[in-house]
Amino acid sequence: MKPWIWGAAALIAAVVVPSFLDPAGYPIRVLTLTLLFAALGQAWNIVGGLANQISLGHAAFFGIGAYTSTILLIHFNLSPWIGMLAGAALAALAAYLLSFPTMKLRGHYFALATLAFSEVLRVVASSWTSVTGGPAGLSVPYAADSLALLQFKSTTPYYYIILGALVLICVVFLVIQKSALGYRLRAVKENPDAAEVIGVDTTRVKITAAVISAALTALLGTLYAQFTYFFDPEAVFGIVAISVRAAIIAILGGAGTLAGPLIGAFVIVPLEEFANAALSSRAAGLSQLVFGLMLIAIILVEPRGLLVLVSNGIARLRKGRKG
Amino acid sequence: MAFLQAVIDGLMIGGVYAVISIGLTLVFGVMGIVNFAQAEFLTLGMFVAFFAWKYLGIDPLVGSLISFVLIFGLGVLVQMTIIQRVLNAPPVAQIFVTVGLLIVIENLSLIAFGSDFRSVTTSYQTSALRLGPLFISVPYLAAFCMSLLSGLALWLFTNKTWYGRAMRATAQDPMAAHLMGINADRMRQIAFGLGVGMTAFGGAVILPYFTVHPTVGHQFVVLMFTVVVLGGLGSVAGAVVGGLVVGVIQSVSTLFFPIQLQNLVLFLVFITVLAVRPTGLIGAAR
Amino acid sequence: MSAPILQVDGITKRFGGLLALDNVSFEVAAGDIIGLIGPNGAGKSTLFSTLVGLHKPTSGSVRFAGADITGLKPHKVAARGLTKTFQNVALFMEATVLDNVLIGALLREGVAEARTTAMACLDRVGLAHIAGKTANDLSFPERARVEVARSLATRPKVLLLDEVMAALNHVEMEEIMALIRSLRDDGLTVVAVEHHMHAIMSLCERIVVLNFGRKIADGTPQDIAKDPEVVRAYLGREYA
Repeated sequence: MKPWIWGAAALIAAVVVPSFLDPAGYPIRVLTLTLLFAALGQAWNIVGGLANQISLGHAAFFGIGAYTSTILLIHFNLSPWIGMLAGAALAALAAYLLSFPTMKLRGHYFALATLAFSEVLRVVASSWTSVTGGPAGLSVPYAADSLALLQFKSTTPYYYIILGALVLICVVFLVIQKSALGYRLRAVKENPDAAEVIGVDTTRVKITAAVISAALTALLGTLYAQFTYFFDPEAVFGIVAISVRAAIIAILGGAGTLAGPLIGAFVIVPLEEFANAALSSRAAGLSQLVFGLMLIAIILVEPRGLLVLVSNGIARLRKGRKG
Repeated sequence: MAFLQAVIDGLMIGGVYAVISIGLTLVFGVMGIVNFAQAEFLTLGMFVAFFAWKYLGIDPLVGSLISFVLIFGLGVLVQMTIIQRVLNAPPVAQIFVTVGLLIVIENLSLIAFGSDFRSVTTSYQTSALRLGPLFISVPYLAAFCMSLLSGLALWLFTNKTWYGRAMRATAQDPMAAHLMGINADRMRQIAFGLGVGMTAFGGAVILPYFTVHPTVGHQFVVLMFTVVVLGGLGSVAGAVVGGLVVGVIQSVSTLFFPIQLQNLVLFLVFITVLAVRPTGLIGAAR
Repeated sequence: MSAPILQVDGITKRFGGLLALDNVSFEVAAGDIIGLIGPNGAGKSTLFSTLVGLHKPTSGSVRFAGADITGLKPHKVAARGLTKTFQNVALFMEATVLDNVLIGALLREGVAEARTTAMACLDRVGLAHIAGKTANDLSFPERARVEVARSLATRPKVLLLDEVMAALNHVEMEEIMALIRSLRDDGLTVVAVEHHMHAIMSLCERIVVLNFGRKIADGTPQDIAKDPEVVRAYLGREYA
């Protein structure tokens, strides 16, 4: 089958599925979260996969999105749709400014710098209590079911809105991949000096990717805040909760590919959710522990991701049958 | 006078920062890997010292030695079973293996010890020395002195013993070290063990004035990065100076900014150094 | 001789205590094929990197097509029409041959047109038949040619070739020389670093010789072969 047929089939399935599920039930909640984190992985993928800049700080942009829209809603009664755009703009600006000091950094150094950035925002969110609510976090005030205020009692509307965001981010990813920017990103990823010498403005290419990725991540932050109604600094600025999860979802599935984050999210998020439901009553942290162990195991077995692992496995099976 | 007091406070705490950051820089120097889980070993060191105090009645300053030994052993194990396998892997694999380690250790301690805040009580906890108009808190001074001693011990080890020299040779040129009959894998185990052991030691000596809980390491992440980047990743001498500088910056900045913004000030220092000179301002990298 | 398209004026480049280039000056006229030779470590590759903007010269200036380009970033230099190939080949290894060349062509046009240009450039270097292969799977001589094609795709006025004939056999070398001549006939100016003396002597109208970062000679192949300092520093082993 051609890839687009897979895509169309998946999309139709995604549109139809909620009609079989209880709109206030647990399964649709897990599915919605899965789509949200697939989208987050895809947004990360623009920087981490296409440009191979391993960001450990995407929580910074996610948190900016969540806090900006929610603060605007609480204090100015501004629709989260507008707050979402404001958050995206702010995140884009933050990414733009952060690009200058981190421009030349690669590998471990880049990861260090981005992680430090998000940690600082987390600390600011925890201490600037008058605006951010401090460590206690913020609650999104519920008025009534309203598309304009982006709030609903049922999960189903969130599901479709977040599905829309996922589709949007996947389309952005595809367009970038096929465009001149995508080719240039590959050049920058493989050999920045050679790219410059044949006319690629490597600085501009990297900044463009970082800004797009950050803005999209912030959109998801707003959606997350509206969906969960409550968040604290750890939930949206957390290293593990957001930054690492975004990266792992993309890497597990296969960084730099369109399908990668989708596969990664559909493996990790349900697994984590069910582990949480099954284990958390016994010990806080057990599901996270499993997550960490899985992460180490994956890296040690096949750091290029499940896609490669599965396709290698299939190739080996075929060989085995022939021989 | 407040300024001078802040400088002294900063130096006292900076000595500890130096010791906990030496571990990070040592591992990078020998293996080229940034251990994102480094701060978790500080947490573990604090827990070891806490339980040694609680159940054996050992003062944390002495318990710090137990922390060092136990975490050193743990580090050797981690190096043998996990880190060794990603030595030649792309950076993304190295980064996420240590991130995975961070998640595992943090949640293991959460499961094992619960999310309670724990602290020790010692006789010298609230005492201070008076030097004219200035005060030096005794637990801070004790932690500083212990850090100084451990730093000295590390320096003697790396410069005066065969193992230390072999370790440095491995850092500089693993191939040549191998040809000289040095077991590079063994040296990396020692380096990783020493690295996390030093950090655990640093965690233990601050226990008299710091509460321990499973996520205490978070507070030290940006700080440790700033120290090692300031000093040059991989440079032990750089980490010492970097630690003292960061301690003073942090302490003095509270005179001008709200205490919550300490981390922001540190981050600005960190990001400026990275942008201007990623190899560090103080030590020569490697 | 027409007006010089490339003027190198007193370029000095220091790396810490090392003096890599010491007051190097020369000019290149449009339509020339110039050879740049010298012993290993003489500063040839450093000079190329400095000309295209990968290194900032410590002092001195580079003028290209009438404008000062000293200190411009490499992509700006490439946009003006000056680019180079890399000594040890710097392809985008995981991309296809076509994509490698296409990225060069993107400098002046969109993706669709760039693909056409890239195919034409590959055809020019005789590699159109392997356009779909991954760069990683190519032999070294093929890689060198893809690099030439990638540079050509940026539509340079002056092309700096850094040892594209290394590791080539005699037949392949003749092919590359024929290619360079035909490019020149189409209006391209070429400066080539080469170790194959026979190739450089027959290909170039003029040769510049570097030794320890200094220019020690500049003239026709005949003059160079007779120059006592050149013979002592470099040619001695083969020609004395």
